[in-house]
Amino acid sequence: MSTATQARTSRARATMGGVWLVAALELRLRVRSGKWIAALIAFGSLVGIFTLLLAFAVNGQMFGGDDYGVIFGTVVFFVLFMGLLVSPTLTATSINGDRKDGTLAPLQATTLSATTIVLGKLLAAWLASLAFLTVALPFIVIGAVVSHAPFWTAVVTVLVLAFELLVICAIGMGLSASLAGTAASAVLTYLAVATLAVLTLVFFGLGTALSIQPTTTRIYDVSYDYDWAEGEPSIEDCEWREETWEEPHTEYVWWLLAANPFVIVADAAPAEDDFDRNFYDDQTMLGSIKYAVREARLGPAEFQNWCYYNYGDTEALPEELQRAEELQELSAVWPWGIGFHTLLAAGSVLIAIRRVKVPYGKLISGTRVA
Amino acid sequence: MDVVDEPAAADPADAALTATGVRRAFGTVQAVVSADLAIAPGQVTALIGPNGAGKTTLMLMLAGLLAPDAGTITVGGANMRRSPVKARTRVGWMPDTLGTWDSLTCLEVVTTFARAYGIKATDARARAFELLTRFQLAEFASRPARVLSRGQKQRLSLARAIVHDPAVLILDEPASGLDPRARAELRTVLRELAAEGKAILISSHVLAELDEMVDDAVFMFAGSTRGTEASEHLERARRRYSVIGLDAAALQKALAAQTRAWETTEAGAIVEVADAADAAALNAELVAAGVAVAALAPVGSALESTYLSLEGEQR
Ligand SMILES: Nc1ncnc2c1ncn2[C@@H]1O[C@H](COP(=O)(O)OP(=O)(O)OP(=O)(O)O)[C@@H](O)[C@H]1O
Ligand SMILES: [Mg+2]
Repeated sequence: MSTATQARTSRARATMGGVWLVAALELRLRVRSGKWIAALIAFGSLVGIFTLLLAFAVNGQMFGGDDYGVIFGTVVFFVLFMGLLVSPTLTATSINGDRKDGTLAPLQATTLSATTIVLGKLLAAWLASLAFLTVALPFIVIGAVVSHAPFWTAVVTVLVLAFELLVICAIGMGLSASLAGTAASAVLTYLAVATLAVLTLVFFGLGTALSIQPTTTRIYDVSYDYDWAEGEPSIEDCEWREETWEEPHTEYVWWLLAANPFVIVADAAPAEDDFDRNFYDDQTMLGSIKYAVREARLGPAEFQNWCYYNYGDTEALPEELQRAEELQELSAVWPWGIGFHTLLAAGSVLIAIRRVKVPYGKLISGTRVA
Repeated sequence: MDVVDEPAAADPADAALTATGVRRAFGTVQAVVSADLAIAPGQVTALIGPNGAGKTTLMLMLAGLLAPDAGTITVGGANMRRSPVKARTRVGWMPDTLGTWDSLTCLEVVTTFARAYGIKATDARARAFELLTRFQLAEFASRPARVLSRGQKQRLSLARAIVHDPAVLILDEPASGLDPRARAELRTVLRELAAEGKAILISSHVLAELDEMVDDAVFMFAGSTRGTEASEHLERARRRYSVIGLDAAALQKALAAQTRAWETTEAGAIVEVADAADAAALNAELVAAGVAVAALAPVGSALESTYLSLEGEQR
C-alpha cells in the first residue's frame, strides 16, 4: 500500500454539515435541561449584582460622576473571570466522558471524520460559552455607558472575550482527548486556566525579582551646589549625574504578561488615553494596564527626571519626549498574546483530532474502545 | 439448525467480509493472536469463545475502529486499511456497551446516526421512523432514550447499527441481558436481516440460543480462531441425532441391522446421520421395522458440544 494513498485517505476532512450535526448533537445532549437555563440565570444574576454593587461602590450612586473607566474595566474582567471558570466544564470531559458513556465509538464508526467530530464538539462548547457571554452582555454595555467607553472599545473587548473563551474550550478539548480519566482532564484544564490567568502574573513577579541587576541611570536633578535659600529651583538649575543601583529589567519577562487573558483583553481594547505624560486623570483602567505592560516591555528608563519643580511651567526633557515616543511606537502586546493563544488552541485541537481518529493505533492506556 | 443443507464454511471469494491473519496487541497483552474468518451474505455466523478470548477486539477491528497490527480485512472488496471510510460504511456495528444519549429521544438518536452516515435530513427522519417501527419502538420515538429498558435499548442500538443499510452487521453480544421472549424476537429479526442478504457476525455466550439462529460458527480461543477443525467438529455434532424408542432393546436391534454409525444410550441411541433428509429416512426405516420411535432429534446443542470439546483440547 502506497504512503500516498494512505495520506490521502487518512487526511481528515471536515464538512460543514457534519460539524453542525455533531454540534447539534452535543448541544441537545448537554444543554437540553432546566439546569442549563438555571446556570445561565445564575451567571447573569452574579454579573448583574456585581455591576450594581461596583457602580455604587465607585461613585456612591449609579450613573454618577467620572469613574475613569473603572466600572467598565472591572465588569469586563469579572465576566472574563467567570467565563474562565465556566468554559472548562463545557469541554474538559467532552471526549473522555463520551468514551466512558460508550457514545463516542458509534460516532467514530460512522463516516464522520475525527476532525468533524472534534470541531463539532468545540463549536457546541463555544456556542454554550457564548451564551454565558450574551447573558453578561447587557452589563458590559451598562459598564461601557457609565464609564463613557468608546463604542469600539466595547465591541473589541467583547470579541476578545469570545476568543478567549474559545481558547479555553479548545484546551479542555485537547486534554479530554488525551487523558483517560474525566477527573484528571477537568483538574488539568483548570490548572491550565490558572496558569494563564494567575501564574503568568506570579511568574512575572518572580521573574522581575530575578531580573534585578546593577544598572547605571542618568538622573536629572538639582545640582548639589544649588542654594535652596533662593527658593524653588527651576529647570535650568538642574544637571545630569549618573547613579548605579539595582533595577528590575522587566523587558526580559514582559512576555509572561502577554500570555495573560486579562492583559490581552486590556491591551486589545482601544483606549483614547493620553500616555504622553503621566496625566493619570485621563486614563481608564484598561488603558492603564495597557500602559503599564508597555512600560514593562520597555524596561527601566536610562534616565530619570527628578527636577520636577515648577513642572507645569517647563517643557519635558528631550529624553522624556523620546521615551514617550518609544512607548507609543511599541507594537501592541495583544497580537503576541492572541498569537500564542491561537497556537495553544490549534495545538489542542490537533491533538484531540489525532486522539479521536480511527482506526486507533495506540490506545491511551487504561481505555477501551468499547 | 435452521439451514443445514448449505455449505457451512463461506467461500472467501463471495464473502461479504474476510479477515486473514489479523493480530492485535495492547501493550504486552496479545488480545488477538491470529484470526481468520469469512462471513457470507445471507448467513448468520457466530463468534464463540470464552471471556477474554479477543472477540470484542476482533470485532472492533472488523468495524474499522481498531487498527490491526498485522493482517488484512476486506469488506465487499474494500480494504479496511486502504479505504477505511468506504469499508466502514459497509459495516454496521453494535457494541456490547450500550451508549446512553441521555436527553436525546429515540427518534433523534437514530436520525442523528442516519445523518452521520450522510443520509439527507428528510430521508434520515423517515428511515429512523421506519426502523423504530420495525423494532417495536415507535411508541418510544419521542421519549428520551434514557428511560428505555435494557431490551428496548438493545433494539435501539440495533436500529442505530443498521440505519445506513450496511451489507455486514457486527453484533457484540446482542442477546446479553435479554429475557427469553426478547431473545426469540432478536432471533427473528436477525433471520429476517439475513434473509435480506446481510452478512451477520454475532458473538454470544448463550450457545443454546445461537444454535437455533446461526448458519455457521467461528470459535476463538486465546486470541486464535479455529477454522477447519472447528467446522469439522460442528459438522459432526450437527449430524448426531438422538433416537428414543419405547423399547430400547428393539430399537438397538433395528439399528444394528443398518449401516449408519451409532452408539447406545440409556433410553435408546445416538445415530450419526448424513443430513436432515437422512434423519427422516432413518425414522421411516425404524417405523417400517416396527420400532416405536418416541423421539428423534439432534443431540443437545451442536455448538455447545463443539465448544466444550475444543475448550477441552485447549486446556
Ligand atoms: N484496551 C485494552 N487495553 C488493554 N488490554 C485490553 C484492551 N482491550 C482488551 N484487552 C485485553 O485483551 C483480551 C481480549 O479482550 P476482549 O475484550 O476482546 O475479550 P472478549 O472475547 O470480548 O471477552 P468477553 O467475552 O468477556 O467480552 C483481554 O485479555 C483483555 O484484557
Ligand atoms: Mg467482549
